[in-house]
Amino acid sequence: MSSLNEAAAPRPRLSAFQWALLAPGAVLLMVLLVAPIALMALESFRPFVAGRVGSGAGWTVRNYTELIEPAYAFYFYDTFRIGFIVSAIALLLATPLAWQAARTKRRATRVSIFGLLIGLLFMSLVARLYAIQMTWGSTGPLAFFGTLIGVPARSSGYAAIQVAIGLLHFVVPMAAMILIGTFQNISPRLEEAAASLGAARWRVALTVTLPLAVPGLLSAFMIAFAMCISNFVVPLILGRGIVLFTTNLMYVRFSDVANFPSGAAIGMIMFALAGFVVYALAGLVRWLAPAEARP
Amino acid sequence: MSRLSRRELLKISAASGLGSALSLAGIPHAVAQQGEQLLVVMWGAAWIEVSRKIVDAYVVKTGDKVAWELHAGGAMAIVAKVKPAWPHVNYNLISGWDPVFRAMIKEDWVEPVTLDEMPALKDIPPVFFQKNAKGELMTVPLSTAGAFWGYRTDLVDKPIESIEQLLEPRFKGKLCVPFPVNLTGLLMLTLAMQRGGNERNIEPGWGFLKELAERGQIGRVINNNSEFINAMSSGETSVAFFNIGAWTQVRKQFPVKIMSKIKDNKGFLFNEGFAVIKQNDPKKVAAAKRLANHFATPEINEQYNWPLGEGPTNPKSKANPDIADVFYKPDELAQYAYIADFEYMASQVDGWAKRWEQEIAPLIRRS
Repeated sequence: MSSLNEAAAPRPRLSAFQWALLAPGAVLLMVLLVAPIALMALESFRPFVAGRVGSGAGWTVRNYTELIEPAYAFYFYDTFRIGFIVSAIALLLATPLAWQAARTKRRATRVSIFGLLIGLLFMSLVARLYAIQMTWGSTGPLAFFGTLIGVPARSSGYAAIQVAIGLLHFVVPMAAMILIGTFQNISPRLEEAAASLGAARWRVALTVTLPLAVPGLLSAFMIAFAMCISNFVVPLILGRGIVLFTTNLMYVRFSDVANFPSGAAIGMIMFALAGFVVYALAGLVRWLAPAEARP
Repeated sequence: MSRLSRRELLKISAASGLGSALSLAGIPHAVAQQGEQLLVVMWGAAWIEVSRKIVDAYVVKTGDKVAWELHAGGAMAIVAKVKPAWPHVNYNLISGWDPVFRAMIKEDWVEPVTLDEMPALKDIPPVFFQKNAKGELMTVPLSTAGAFWGYRTDLVDKPIESIEQLLEPRFKGKLCVPFPVNLTGLLMLTLAMQRGGNERNIEPGWGFLKELAERGQIGRVINNNSEFINAMSSGETSVAFFNIGAWTQVRKQFPVKIMSKIKDNKGFLFNEGFAVIKQNDPKKVAAAKRLANHFATPEINEQYNWPLGEGPTNPKSKANPDIADVFYKPDELAQYAYIADFEYMASQVDGWAKRWEQEIAPLIRRS
């Protein structure tokens, strides 16, 4: 009944002062985000004149129709597939780290975990990527790892593994930092209550902590996924020009060929696909999370 | 005995502080006021190293100040960067090569240069310059460069006589090739010429490239000098097609055979240098021309090209003897060298890049 009353209640109106507070941020958002995307959307329908720079006059849908080629579906599929796998592995690696950092009573352990995560966030990504290349690259000391798992070091599959390792460096600290907040917000008393009723630690983790952490886990997954599929530098350095993300295709269009309309069309498709994935994952959160844990 | 007032003391301190700052920066007081601030786009690696050395001395002499920006990826990327900002760009000089200059001249971004303003250009053969429709000189040629096949002799068991041999199983995963956009598609041209084609009949090149990709010969696709140097220096790949400047950097550390004189193919020649970018401020344009002229003088042209392993354009400069085996004697030019129609190729690279993405990249990924 109370929820019905809440639904029927008129929405509170924003005062002039509240509008004034919102205005600078809204204007900034319009100028920095909405306007460039709108311009990019318009550019994606412009024709490209070969040998010239940028777009020509008139309108066309050719920049989109040429992406219907099956070969391009593979680039989108590969970007999303590697992004999905890396995000899932990142969650597996980040969850225990974050839980330990949130729950440990030992200050030294907490400081060490925070130090590691913040250190990874601040250390130059490019330096780390070249370190990965030197270590895991086809002539690096750990290249035998590929042979052990049946992926030759000079193969494209091994290049994909290197890209995944590079992306993990990038997203694990971010996911762990998000999850620390999630675990800190789950009252330890709930876990203590379950334990006092005789539940084993693994059962407490699986039936109490994990369901309550679902929204945070999915948020971390979404952010990790967004960071992976929009990443440019990791496939550029570690992909050996063989594993290419859609960002790399966009870069070639904009930068090397100066075909801005085609680059813009790839960008708009990525924008739509990423929006769809985020919407679907948000739906998954509502479906999976217990009512009390829903945002 | 006169005493200094507090105001006089402050004035003297400020003046001496400014003077010290200028002296520390190595700028003579009188000249520091006259100098122009220039923004120059240059390649990374050895190019920026040698350019900085040259400009450090030049700045002290003239009072002009130079800030650098590096090319990101191929030199053509700068064209895409200038386009959205034009005419509000701060670049005064852009380093590039023939196809990049053609694109910039077409967009009317480049300031013509004259022999009266830039006396060092009088020495440079006219054929090296890019010209506009009116026949005006539009570039400052600094280097004669080339693109060639080559290989590391310590990693390849038998010498390579023809690039047809690259299909042999021993080269599986060992080839390093540029993305077709890079070098304005010279990779496609060399492959096409191997099978009887040319710029306008590029189809044989696609056939050859597909064979290489299907057999898994291509181990790395590169976009710039740094990637090439990394791939060849680490031994990840042992055979490649790329520009002489990048080859020279690898040759400094490893034994390399550059195949500039192959019986059934050609080496490609082109010029690198500066384009002076149009600006509203005539003083900046004059300063940019002054600096470009400095790079073209015999002594500096030699100093610039020596570590790059490229040929100086000023005939009064000496070429690095290390590149004597790579470049051609006049009687060898017709047999071994080829000057591509870059204007035509630049109009094709968009299509070639898409065809690579659709037909070649999936083959490399599967092999």
